[in-house]
Amino acid sequence: MEFEAGKIRSEIRAFIVDSYLLGDESVKFSDSDSFMSCGIMDSMGILELVAFLEQHFGVTVTDDEMLPTNLDSVESLVSFIRSKSNC
Amino acid sequence: MNLNQFLRQSIDSYPDRVAVSVQDRSITYRELADAADGLANNLRRLSLGDGARVGLLLENSIEYTIAYFGVLEAGLVVVPLDTSANGNTLRFILADCGVKVLIAQSHFRRQLKVIFETDCGVEVLLCDSIPNFGSRSLRALVFDRSLQVEQFDVSETTPSLKAPEAISLCRFGKLHELAAIFYTSGSTGVSKGVMLSHLNLVSNTLSTIEYLNLSRDDRTLVILPFYYIYGNSLLLTNIACGACLVIDNRFMYPETVLNTMEEQRCTGFSGVPSTFMILLGRSTFASRQFPHMRYFTQAGGAMAPEITRKLMHAFPNKEIYIMYGQTEAAPRVTYLPPQRLAEKLGSIGIPLTGISVTIMDEQEHELPVGKTGELVVSGDNVMMGYWRQPDEEQEVLRDGLLFTGDLGYKDEDGFLFIIGRKKEIIKTGGNRVSVKEIEECLIANENILEACVVGVSDRLLGEVIKAVIVLKPGIELETKEILLHCRRSLADFKVPKIIDIVEALPKYQSGKIIKHLLKNEQHEV
Repeated sequence: MEFEAGKIRSEIRAFIVDSYLLGDESVKFSDSDSFMSCGIMDSMGILELVAFLEQHFGVTVTDDEMLPTNLDSVESLVSFIRSKSNC
Repeated sequence: MNLNQFLRQSIDSYPDRVAVSVQDRSITYRELADAADGLANNLRRLSLGDGARVGLLLENSIEYTIAYFGVLEAGLVVVPLDTSANGNTLRFILADCGVKVLIAQSHFRRQLKVIFETDCGVEVLLCDSIPNFGSRSLRALVFDRSLQVEQFDVSETTPSLKAPEAISLCRFGKLHELAAIFYTSGSTGVSKGVMLSHLNLVSNTLSTIEYLNLSRDDRTLVILPFYYIYGNSLLLTNIACGACLVIDNRFMYPETVLNTMEEQRCTGFSGVPSTFMILLGRSTFASRQFPHMRYFTQAGGAMAPEITRKLMHAFPNKEIYIMYGQTEAAPRVTYLPPQRLAEKLGSIGIPLTGISVTIMDEQEHELPVGKTGELVVSGDNVMMGYWRQPDEEQEVLRDGLLFTGDLGYKDEDGFLFIIGRKKEIIKTGGNRVSVKEIEECLIANENILEACVVGVSDRLLGEVIKAVIVLKPGIELETKEILLHCRRSLADFKVPKIIDIVEALPKYQSGKIIKHLLKNEQHEV
C-alpha cells in the first residue's frame, strides 16, 4: 500500500504532538528538526514511535533500521514510510 | 590525594593518549589538562572564593570533562545539573546551594531563560566548541540576565598554562573538603544536595577500579549522563587509570551506539536495567560479537534476573558486573563478582574494598545471616551530608553510618540481597523519584481533591509511576490535562505513566490510604 507524503506527515505530527507534547502546540518543531537534538523524545519514546509506525502504517521496522537517518525527524520518517510501503 | 590528581597522574603517565572521544572529536590527556588549567585560572580571576559552587549544565562532552576538572582544579565545588530538569527545578538548585557561575551549553537556552527570569546572581559561561587544543582553552561566552551575549575568550585573557606551572598556582581541594554536590530526589519531595568530599569520591573510584580491573587499555563506551552519579563514576574511574572515555549520546537509536561500540573497539559498557532491556529486546546487540568488549556493568536499580540471564546467554565470555549503590555512597557499595553471577543470581553481591555493609533492625542492632533488615553502609565513601537539610540528614546519617532505606539480608557466604525499600521512593529507569513530590504537584491542581502515587513493577523500567486521583465534586478532567499539568512542573521521568481517576481512595479506618491496593488495577496512559 502506498501512502501520500502529506497524509503521512500530518499523521506523524499529530502523533508526536499528542504523545510527547501532550497536545501542547506551543512547542514548535519543523519537519527537519532532529527529535534527538530537540529533546522531543528519549530512548523509550522512540520505541513507542516505532510501535505507532508499525501499527498505523502497517510497516515492519527491523532492529537495524532503527537509525537516525530513518527516524530522527518528520521528514526522514515520511521518506522511510514511503520507501517501506513501496517495497 | 584528591580528585585532580587522578588527571595529573594520567597526564604524567600517558600525556598523548586519548582521554575522551566523541564521534569525530577527541582530546588527549595533555590537551584536557591544558584546557582545564585555562578554565581554572580564569575562574580564579573571578575571585569567587574557596569552595564556591560552579554548576555544570552540559551534556556528556569534551567540554563537560574540561569544565569538571577545571572547576576542581580552581579549588571550587562542582554541581552537576540534570540537563532534563526544567528551568524551575534548576533555578531552585542554583539558589539552594548558592551557585555563582554556571557553565552551560547554548542548546539549554530554554532552561536558561527560565533561570534568568528573576535575578539569581549567577554568571553564565557558555561553551559550545573548542577551536584549538593546547594553546587555547575553552571558548566561552558570557551573557547576562537579558541574554545579551558578550564574547569572552578564555585563552585571550590568560594563556593556557603548562601542567607544572598550573600545579604551583592551584589551590587544590583538600581530601576532606567538599568536591561536588549532586542533587537527588528526597522523600519529602524537595531535592537534596548530596555533599561528597574528595575523599568520598577518591576512595570509591579506587575501589571501583580495583574490582573492575580497569587499566589504561580500557575504552569505555559512555551513554549514561555524567551529571548522574553512576556516569560520574565512569568519568572518574576511566580518567584515573588513563583509559579512554568514548561518549555517545545517541542511545535513542541503539544501533548507532552499537556501531560505535564495535568501531571504537570498546572494552567496557555500563547501563541501567532499561538500557539492557532495550538492547536485548529491540536491537541487534545479542547477535553481534564485540570482540574487544571485556565487561558490562549494571546498576541504577534492580534488573530482573530474566534479563541478566539473557545477557549471560548472549555473552557467555564477557564479564557481567551487577552492582548496587547510592548517590550518598559516592556511589558504589557492592558488586557481584562475574564468576559468582550464575550461582548468586538476584544478589547485589559483596561490599567493595574499604566498605562494610551491616544488616540492622529498627533498634540499630546488627542482624544475623538470613534475617531481613536495613542495609547500613560505612566507609570513606559515605557522604558528608545533605546541604542545608539537617532533618533529612539525621534520618540517614548517624555516627558516620549511612542508613540506605533499602531492606535486605545477607546469606551465609556474605552475599547481599535486597527485597524492598523503607522509604517512599520510586526507582524508575535508573532515576529516584519522590512520591511526595509528585503527589504535591498533583494536589496543586485546583480540580484535584486527592492524589496518591505508587510505584508499579515494570519489565522495562523496573518501576513506573502510577497516580490515582479523586477529582473535586462536579469536575470532569481528562488524563491528558493532568499529564500536561505534571509536565509543567516536573521533569519528564517524574511524570506518571499510569493515571487512574477514581471515585474514592481505599483507606484504613485511621484514614491512611491502603497503598498496596492501588498497585493492582492499571490503566496505562
